[in-house]
Amino acid sequence: MKITKRVKRETKQLYRFCLLNGLLDENRVRQVVQRVIAAGKRDCPSILAHFLRLVKLDCARHTATIESATPLPTDLQTVVQTGLAHRYGLGLTTAFAQRPELIGGMRIQVGCDVYDGSVRARLEALQKSF
Amino acid sequence: MTDLLKEIEAQIAGAKTTAAKQNVGVIREVGDGVAKIEGLSDAMLNEMIDLGNGVTGLALNLDETEVGVVILGDYTQLKEGGEARTTGKLLQVPVGKGLLGRVVNVLGEPVDGKGPIKSDKTYPVEKIAPGIIRRRSVSQPVQTGIMPIDAMIPIGRGQRQLIIGDRGTGKTTICIDTMISQARLNKAAELAGDKDYRSLYCIYVAIGQKQSTIARVISVLEQAGAMPYTIVVASPASDSAANQYLAPFAGAAMGEWFMDNGMDALIVYDDLSKQAVAYRQVSLLLKRPSGREAYPGDVFYLHSRLLERAARVGEKYGNGSLTALPIIETQSGDVSAYIPTNVISITDGQIFLETDLFHQGVRPAINVGISVSRVGSAAQLKAIKQVAGQLKGDLAQFRELAAFAQFGSDLDAKTQAQIDRGKRIMEIFKQGQYNPIPVEIQVVVIWAAQNGYLDQVPVPRVKEFQNKLTEYFTTRKAQLLAKIGKEKALSDPLKAELKTAAEEFKQTWK
Repeated sequence: MKITKRVKRETKQLYRFCLLNGLLDENRVRQVVQRVIAAGKRDCPSILAHFLRLVKLDCARHTATIESATPLPTDLQTVVQTGLAHRYGLGLTTAFAQRPELIGGMRIQVGCDVYDGSVRARLEALQKSF
Repeated sequence: MTDLLKEIEAQIAGAKTTAAKQNVGVIREVGDGVAKIEGLSDAMLNEMIDLGNGVTGLALNLDETEVGVVILGDYTQLKEGGEARTTGKLLQVPVGKGLLGRVVNVLGEPVDGKGPIKSDKTYPVEKIAPGIIRRRSVSQPVQTGIMPIDAMIPIGRGQRQLIIGDRGTGKTTICIDTMISQARLNKAAELAGDKDYRSLYCIYVAIGQKQSTIARVISVLEQAGAMPYTIVVASPASDSAANQYLAPFAGAAMGEWFMDNGMDALIVYDDLSKQAVAYRQVSLLLKRPSGREAYPGDVFYLHSRLLERAARVGEKYGNGSLTALPIIETQSGDVSAYIPTNVISITDGQIFLETDLFHQGVRPAINVGISVSRVGSAAQLKAIKQVAGQLKGDLAQFRELAAFAQFGSDLDAKTQAQIDRGKRIMEIFKQGQYNPIPVEIQVVVIWAAQNGYLDQVPVPRVKEFQNKLTEYFTTRKAQLLAKIGKEKALSDPLKAELKTAAEEFKQTWK
């Protein structure tokens, strides 16, 4: 699907409309999608595809994925959540996941930022250094 | 043993491990040597991006949600959805004297099979050119060993002299001759123990050429003994467009090291037309808007920022220099095309080579009328200036008169003499390839021509006369040549000696 500059521009405007105090408002997102479909414009699919992409990226920016080899204790989860909220501000959703291949430690990803303190990452770094 | 264990325990207790922040992205699109990566919000322009599988890329387009990356390496290993991460490093190449005598690729990796390169220093390929304060004007000559150039279109150290012409007119040959001449001068100074002589190191950047052509150039340089003073940066036609676009910058970085360390270097970009084509390809793949001849809008900046890096820096900053000899290939002699006009306006002069002259046997096929050196005359040796000062004007007059004489009208004696002199001068400027002439010989030959010693020699025998004269001076008047080389000017006693020697030779010439 070809996304033209005009489509990008218009979608960006719609996306901006969905922001409330810098955070994406779910109701507005739903409204925008309904209105665009109802309008039935020719470039509606490309607008919605690009809009979906922007929303996905926004969600990724505001979602912290915390991976560890074993389940984290509740108190540690709270500490991590507080630390992330302090660094990235409010509106951050946290999701905890288990990945045994990390061997130990923790890997946190918020949008493009990755804090990899896992044993596996360190082993890989060690391997690269030789 | 207990102490050792305690020591280790203490070290373990004191060791702190921190998880460094990394910036990652996901490959969204890959193909034709270009990748689009979603994320990488912290990527910098021209930053190296680790694309996994040992492949690196260069961030060239920073968009709101994605980064356009040119891939330096085998992009067939990359897949959509793969992870990419920033490295925080700009593209760098190894620099230093360890590269001399080597053939390297764009990343400074050896491709000549002579083992690893001994270099512990790297320079970024993109660097801001020296500013106004650091620069000084051009004042030292680059002896190309090509008589028409040294006499009429002199090049100074730190100058940017464009060599422009159609295919097969001898552009590369001029540059190779210059490099061979530098190697001979460097070697002679080393043998004589001349500490005042500033060696000129050469860098030859081959862009988009056939591998066989590059191999031929290398073999010529090796045969002439010029390789120990030369670095060859090879980005052949089989290289990716990104590599071809980056090759001149990598060469410039290697040359800058010499300049920054108080040495002199000469860099040949062979040729910038092909680099512009490679850059156009990369830009179109990155979906940048195209302009005239489908080149991107910043193609002028591409060449200006590269050629601005050639400079002569002041004594306070090491007194080094980087001379640039960019080559541009024209199509059917059209110098008004986009890239030729751009580079002409950037450089400090140009040497035009013409196909017609080449086929007439005038080699090097330099059109002296439209070739110019805007700053080089300040760097010209005084001796050459003394004998060749009027030469360009005389030749211009000769061409005008010769054109007039074509109509077959009778000419007065003075005009006929001017035409005859012009023909002989044109003849002495013909020179075989890979055979640079030392400056002392150039002075003697031009002096002889200017003082009428060639007037009685029939035009077809001028070259023979020149060769014999050269032989006579090198074998019998070596001391006089050495004096000219040392004094670098023709004083009255030297002129008298020259006259005596020339008279002596004339008597032996049949």
